[in-house]
Amino acid sequence: MISETAIQTLIDKLGKENVITAAEDLLVLGYDSTPGLHATPDLVVYPTDSEQVQSVMQVARDHKVPITPRGSGTGLSGGSIPVDGGIVICLNKMDKILEIDEENLTATCQAGVVTLDLFNAVAAKGLFYPPDPGSQKISTLGGNVMEDAGGLRGLKYGVTRDYVMALKCVLPDGSLLSTGGKSVKDVAGYAFKDLLIGSEGTLAIITEITVKLIPPPQDKRTFLAYFDDISIAGAAVSKIIAAKIIPSTMEIMDKATINCVEDYVKIGLPREMAALLLIEVDGHPAMVTEEAEGVERILREVGAAEVQVAKDAEEAASLAAARRTALSALARVSPTTLLEDATVPRSMLAETFTLIERLTKKYALTVGTFGHAGDGNLHPTVLCDERDADEMKRAHAFYDELYEQVLAWGGTVSGEHGIGIAKKEYLARQIGPGGVAVMKRIKQAFDPEGILNPGKIFADGQE
Amino acid sequence: MADKEKLGNFTPENAPEYEDVLQCMRCGFCLPTCPTFALSGRERSSPRGRVALARAVAEGKLEFTEAVKEEAFFCLDCRACTTACPSGVRAGEVMEICRSQAHQFFPLKHVSKSFREFVLQKMLPNPDLLETSMLPARLYQKLGIQWLVRHSQLLKLGPEWVDKAERMIPELHPPLRPQLADVIPAEGEQRGRVAFFLGCIMTLMYPEVSRQTVRVLTHQGFEVVTPKEQKCCGAPHLTEGDRDTTKRIAQHNLDLFMALDVDAIVTDCAGCGAALKEYEELLEEAGEHDKLATFRAKIKDVSEFLAEQGLRTEGLKPVKKIVTYHEPCHLCHAQGISKQPRELIKAIPGIVYREMEEASWCCGSAATFSLKYTTESQQILDRKLENIRATGAELLVTANPGCHLQLAWGLKQAGMTQEVVHITELLGIATG
Ligand SMILES: Cc1cc2nc3c(=O)[nH]c(=O)nc-3n(C[C@H](O)[C@H](O)[C@H](O)COP(=O)(O)OP(=O)(O)OC[C@H]3O[C@@H](n4cnc5c(N)ncnc54)[C@H](O)[C@@H]3O)c2cc1C
Ligand code: SF4
Ligand code: SF4
Repeated sequence: MISETAIQTLIDKLGKENVITAAEDLLVLGYDSTPGLHATPDLVVYPTDSEQVQSVMQVARDHKVPITPRGSGTGLSGGSIPVDGGIVICLNKMDKILEIDEENLTATCQAGVVTLDLFNAVAAKGLFYPPDPGSQKISTLGGNVMEDAGGLRGLKYGVTRDYVMALKCVLPDGSLLSTGGKSVKDVAGYAFKDLLIGSEGTLAIITEITVKLIPPPQDKRTFLAYFDDISIAGAAVSKIIAAKIIPSTMEIMDKATINCVEDYVKIGLPREMAALLLIEVDGHPAMVTEEAEGVERILREVGAAEVQVAKDAEEAASLAAARRTALSALARVSPTTLLEDATVPRSMLAETFTLIERLTKKYALTVGTFGHAGDGNLHPTVLCDERDADEMKRAHAFYDELYEQVLAWGGTVSGEHGIGIAKKEYLARQIGPGGVAVMKRIKQAFDPEGILNPGKIFADGQE
Repeated sequence: MADKEKLGNFTPENAPEYEDVLQCMRCGFCLPTCPTFALSGRERSSPRGRVALARAVAEGKLEFTEAVKEEAFFCLDCRACTTACPSGVRAGEVMEICRSQAHQFFPLKHVSKSFREFVLQKMLPNPDLLETSMLPARLYQKLGIQWLVRHSQLLKLGPEWVDKAERMIPELHPPLRPQLADVIPAEGEQRGRVAFFLGCIMTLMYPEVSRQTVRVLTHQGFEVVTPKEQKCCGAPHLTEGDRDTTKRIAQHNLDLFMALDVDAIVTDCAGCGAALKEYEELLEEAGEHDKLATFRAKIKDVSEFLAEQGLRTEGLKPVKKIVTYHEPCHLCHAQGISKQPRELIKAIPGIVYREMEEASWCCGSAATFSLKYTTESQQILDRKLENIRATGAELLVTANPGCHLQLAWGLKQAGMTQEVVHITELLGIATG
């Protein structure tokens, strides 16, 4: 529990309305989008600037209470769940875009800015911020940096990491750390910035982020390709890459996903098809034409059942929007949607689909698969009911076996959602006990008291 | 529903279905669409948070507390979250059910309770009483109408509230219901026969609008039947959490309209249309599945109906105005009718149509909301007014009396000159 004096200090620093203790508020800030996970904090605070974040951290340090940072709670590995109670620090009210620097092509914003808001603000100035996670309408930049979120454009433009230039953060001892800057090159000392990106809120609380911007592509073309067999879609992806064409987007949806998405968006997706690929090529108009021809030719060669070109930008945008709803739309089917984040080298895509199909049958489950096919990043999602213990056991066995093979192929247990609570057991399998031990020493260096976002990334007893 | 198994800390009567709250996967897609979340930034005032509260009550992890009740009534029931939710969760409806629960957990004080019961259970379901008891205009404006209009339960009856309600009411004309002939023949070649569902607020507050609706329908070739025995749609009761009266009224209207031989049941009130279309779920337990499904299929908002049938545009006179359209929540979110009104507006010759930003964002009226949460309602309204202003429109078209009142009042307060018209009024002008 948190002492009255601690609460009073926080109220003095943050104002009464930003320090919240009502049971109902606590209850609804103890979840993110990961199914089945919930824990109730003792206190919730909404700081509005770095200084207030520092005050909160100092209180947490002085009273030795756990403190868990939270953006919008769209995380899919349980990173913002306060497993040990204590303080949840919500960054949503830190939502100011501080600067768009057109000379240096950078933007600086507070950590709670919503991803799409930043995208729109820079687009209004003719600039482009490419990372676009499916949750972009809701997720915060801070959450994106902490999970190193990828997006639909990741294939060609990379992930959040590729755009972060500088971070300002508060360390667990309450001090400020600034790392990186607007200089394009910077090799002064250890790369703190890169260490912080993807650290899932366990090393510091990010308060300010400077990102790199680029000029937007001049032209683009969007395709929709349908397949009778999902592994043909996988082969198409590998062939397109092998032909040295890098589309900006290559997203896949299987039949279950197509149907759920169509139930929601009603734009006439073909319900009987085994899979569809949403492909976008962009860039200089001449190059777009050439790449589009290449993509279309390969799609026909591998045996796509049908290839359609979006008739205008509006149709292209609505297709991308439809794809972004895939996970939530799958949640129509069953009370619980257990999503995974398996990622393989792109040449193994077709095999991965075959494997998923085999395991689905073996464990008698219903699975919907979608994902960033171009990145080899798939989200096989088990549609189940958390009240059915046997089904949940089979779901876990399914993932166990899937990950074993994915790792054997040189893949990873998380392409973008992080380890959090959900995948702690798998991390050691991928990086080995030595890797875990070094990571823990780094955590120790940043957070000797272990108050910042405890219970994440490392399974108990892992040394 | 009496023998239903008790769901956690909900009372068995009118409790939510567990599956409905379990369906939320907490993705947050609904968050940016929720006006009350935009106002407070508090998770519990978001659809995701509200469903989580209901789920906690259902799982016995939370009592039905004062705060749960507060959230149920702070929800605008605008249904924007329903449109946004890919998983098919209906947070607004869950909150509607929680309002009903709230009355069981927190019974009203004696005086407000009997007044609330009088209006919801005696006056609203009885159109004759409603109209006559209200006849002296002063009484009309001083006592009941404001209340009716805002469907209020007088929980927070205070000077500010009465004052606002008083100023919102437009000039009143005699109610339309007794004036309408039972059957009004189609003009020109007859294309069909429809029943007209005339909402309480429309007949009392906007009789001229509904007169235009009937005129446009007949002009478009439809015979219009208006059964006098129709009762209030039940929406006010549902909003206030009186599900039992709603069910009684619904059964009456269902039987009455299903006995008519008509192609469609048309209404010009988005709130009524939404309520009528939801009779199917409301009366589920009565077991009349086919009848309910047929009824639902026949209910049409007037713009939905005209767009479906195809507007006869020959003979329409040009209307030389710059026009924008505010989407009533109960039309776009509750009924999914969004394209049709715009199509109709654009079909009128002479009109310059300008789309406003956030056309489907609530105007802040939301039944009793604007009177209970005056400040918040004003903030939502201000956002809307700004978007209207930016279009440079001369006419603001909408399709629901609640929005109509709120917007007309808001525009006047802000010194803006746009006139608010119902879509059938606009069609009426073009019809000549
Ligand atoms: C429907 C849906 C689609 C998605 N699609 C994608 C996708 O395409 N690609 C992808 O990568 N992810 C995706 N995600 C996952 C999720 O949206 C991302 O991980 C996102 O970056 C999380 O942002 P958030 O603001 O919600 O953070 P939260 O979930 O609140 O937090 C995530 C982690 O960051 C920490 N954190 C948050 N803010 C800070 C801060 N300021 N300082 C320190 N730590 C902080 C938290 O402690 C937690 O560990 C999706 C999620 C959903 C629900
Ligand atoms: S209500 Fe729907 S959109 Fe909102 S969090 Fe739940 S599933 Fe997502
Ligand atoms: S109905 Fe409207 S106010 Fe209520 S939760 Fe949904 S979006 Fe928010």
